[in-house]
Amino acid sequence: MSALARPFVPLAYWGFEHRWQLLPPLTGVAMLALIAGALIAAPREAVEGEVQRIFYIHLPVIAASYLAFTVVFVASVVVLWKRDMRWDAVARSAATVGVLFTALTLVTGAIWGKPIWGVWWAWEARLITTLLLFLIYGGYLLVRSMAAPNDEQAARYAAVFAVIGFLDIPLIHMSTRWWRTLHPDAIVLRARPALPVEMLVVLLVGLIAVTLLALWLLVLRAETERMSQRTLSLRAELDRREGI
Amino acid sequence: MNAALAVIRKDLRVVWRDRVGWLTTGAFATASVLTYTFAFDLVSGDVRPLLPGVLWTTFLFAGIFASSQAFQREVEQGTLDAMLISPVPASVVFLAKVLSSVMALLVIEVALLVLATILFDTTLITLELTLIVLVGTAGYVSLTTLLSTMGSQLNSRAMILPVLALPLLVPMLIGAVRATGAALDLPAGTAPWTLLLVVFAAWSSLAGALLFPLAVER
Repeated sequence: MSALARPFVPLAYWGFEHRWQLLPPLTGVAMLALIAGALIAAPREAVEGEVQRIFYIHLPVIAASYLAFTVVFVASVVVLWKRDMRWDAVARSAATVGVLFTALTLVTGAIWGKPIWGVWWAWEARLITTLLLFLIYGGYLLVRSMAAPNDEQAARYAAVFAVIGFLDIPLIHMSTRWWRTLHPDAIVLRARPALPVEMLVVLLVGLIAVTLLALWLLVLRAETERMSQRTLSLRAELDRREGI
Repeated sequence: MNAALAVIRKDLRVVWRDRVGWLTTGAFATASVLTYTFAFDLVSGDVRPLLPGVLWTTFLFAGIFASSQAFQREVEQGTLDAMLISPVPASVVFLAKVLSSVMALLVIEVALLVLATILFDTTLITLELTLIVLVGTAGYVSLTTLLSTMGSQLNSRAMILPVLALPLLVPMLIGAVRATGAALDLPAGTAPWTLLLVVFAAWSSLAGALLFPLAVER
């Protein structure tokens, strides 16, 4: 480890130890700041009007879901490499957060799309990719939940699927973009002019708030997963001993 | 090398012994082409714009139908475990399975192309189309074969394979349909569809060969 990072190690340990004292209040304050910022502080957008305010949730949520899927990928690689079931709990919880957040992205996008584009849904590469991400990681959660939480074989299968799914994202995005070029786009995506400072600040607050929320949900879910893994293993151990 | 050849021979023999299963796959594919004919009324009007989609969804569903059984017998009879402790690399076990499935599916697909040529009066047996079908099949079979190992222990495997495979196969489907359309002189845009198909096939067989050993090792 580099000398530069060394002073942060105790800080990280301290932060992890106090995660239950830190995450809920920090997330709460940041979320309140986001709501106040998005509804009151941010100026009214000249063209789109009030509905543009959903953007302060929409963009952070999709950013957080990409982050969550990256965590799924990394944790799945570690599951395959180290065969450590703790990382299966991390991958599974990150996938849950990612699926939830892609669903929120699709819903908030549709709410924004109806008044601005005139349609709830458009067959555009970014939208299709988001929908497919939702389906792929939903499938991951389905297949993983068919086996017991402490089933190592099932964890490895799910990890393989997660790795394949993550590597497929660029191919999906590229192919859907090419697919769309055949039909002229019904809706022309307006180039967004540079955001004014107030909007940028609210967006930044939103990114922090939603990332904190994702982190909190992830940690909460991962520890629950870990506990059910341990409960099942203890029960199996108990059955084994009583059988002797 | 000899061991790899032995594995391939074994898989081809398994395909031959399971010929009733493959015949069922072929019958399913034929029945689904008929279903499309009535659903989209392929008889009146120009059939060509719809033909690539009809052919590829049929190939894909038949392939998934067949792949869900790929390792079934071997898991049940303990052959897969025996193969994995034999001195053959697990990647070879995987690639031999893909190769034998591709060969069996190719027979079904070419037969369907002949059938569609007769039924819809459109020339479908060309070298270009056969190559597109070969590359596309190699692409989706590698992925479904890898995923079918995942389901072989689960009770609801017949259901889970399409749920997992179809979203991942979207790039392959788009590339295959457009490339087939281009081969039939339909407007297909300027994107390099055949390249997409080749990249997908290379990607999925490589990923399968690398990840299969990790998925099955005990």
